Amino acid sequence: MSAEFELTRNITIGQYLPTGSIVHRLDPRFKLAAFVVLILAIAICNTYVGNVFAIVMCVWLFQVSKIPIHYGISGIKPAIPFIIVLAILQLLFYGGIANGGAVYFEYGFVKITSESIRLVLVSAMRFVEVIFLSSVLTLSTSTTELTHGMERLLGPLQKVKFPVHAFALIITIAIRFVPTFAMEMEKMMKAQASRGADFGTGEWWRIVQRTKDMFPIIIPLFNVALARAEDLILAMEARCYIPGAARTRFAHYTATGKDYVAVGLSVVISVIMLAIPW
Amino acid sequence: MEKGLTVRRIVIAGVLGAIAILLGVTRLGYIPVPTAAGNATILHIPAVIGGIMEGWGVGMIIGLIFGVSSFLNATVPLFKDPLVAILPRLFIGVTAYFTYVGLKNVNQYVAIGVAGFVGSMTNTLLVLGMAVIRGYMAAGVAATVAITSGLPEAIVSVIVTLAVVAAWKKLGSSGKQKSKISGDF
Repeated sequence: MSAEFELTRNITIGQYLPTGSIVHRLDPRFKLAAFVVLILAIAICNTYVGNVFAIVMCVWLFQVSKIPIHYGISGIKPAIPFIIVLAILQLLFYGGIANGGAVYFEYGFVKITSESIRLVLVSAMRFVEVIFLSSVLTLSTSTTELTHGMERLLGPLQKVKFPVHAFALIITIAIRFVPTFAMEMEKMMKAQASRGADFGTGEWWRIVQRTKDMFPIIIPLFNVALARAEDLILAMEARCYIPGAARTRFAHYTATGKDYVAVGLSVVISVIMLAIPW
Repeated sequence: MEKGLTVRRIVIAGVLGAIAILLGVTRLGYIPVPTAAGNATILHIPAVIGGIMEGWGVGMIIGLIFGVSSFLNATVPLFKDPLVAILPRLFIGVTAYFTYVGLKNVNQYVAIGVAGFVGSMTNTLLVLGMAVIRGYMAAGVAATVAITSGLPEAIVSVIVTLAVVAAWKKLGSSGKQKSKISGDF
């Protein structure tokens, strides 16, 4: 029962595994760019061999970054039932939509074709690839590095008046406050439970009950958060923070040869993935 | 209304974004519903509230944070596609804001409630629409999900939005701006 209240333990945001590998030491700007290229390629690629190639590439990335692969696999485990249910649904009802290919089975509205089988297998593989990739990225890059990298990558958007710095600040505030609010929420849950409230103990089909259970937590949570926001606004204004003003920075990044190689490599891998015809 | 990102908007967007992430990672933001989608979600509510309180820009940023966090935490293959997980979420706060602005002269409570409903439905319809376009779901399945989990989501969204925004705007009382100095700039 007490596990219900230990929210802070489950929060893996900012989880970082400092193995000091070459992937860890890449310039965050280039690392982010390389991952974006790879994720886009995975989203487009819908061939069997291309996706197998991508999985092999992901496993190789785990090795290079010296991160044990079970971190990636643990991200996939909870999703296996969903993948299976979805695969069955797609297999049964997709034949009519995913046209083309040989028809293997047809009965009423159920139609299984080679194309619908491809759709099922490819989307399952794609899912594994994206989980692996995002695990490698977050486990090898600290949140500070990620926000800096993002801020610098978005830099060119400043030309079209996009508030890049403010945007990076918003992300930093958001990530910074997650553990704080988790603690607040824990306190509120304990306070409500000591008054006899139940959380998540109702049977799963009693949707209305379970929804009602949530209100005494969610609504105060918003109020606490907004009150904290007011304090932060006051503190920032008292220190004369002006959005968009020119300022110097503490973290400076200089790209080296290996950063260019990493981006180049990700482009080459993406092109190979998309060029494989089967 | 002032233009651009003020300190107030930056902070509120950040803080509500934090709630969106928190509800997602602790799974408290999900109400288990027995459908193909698995869960009804209340994760979009911070985007709705941000949109109503601070304008469409803030709503869009919170939507983006919600989208990216749902993309990174997804356990359903559907949401591992950035086009489904991120793009539709940008519009939650935007539609909520315009609904609120359109109706606010009629009645504040009605405006907030309807904005909560519209914001939530924007999430449901755009996400499911994108799922159909991207080929993860058949149109029939999507329609069932929209009714079985979209409607409860929208109702919860109306209740929470009303409770939070009305309390914050202090409807009914003399309703002064909360911030001590932002108003003076």
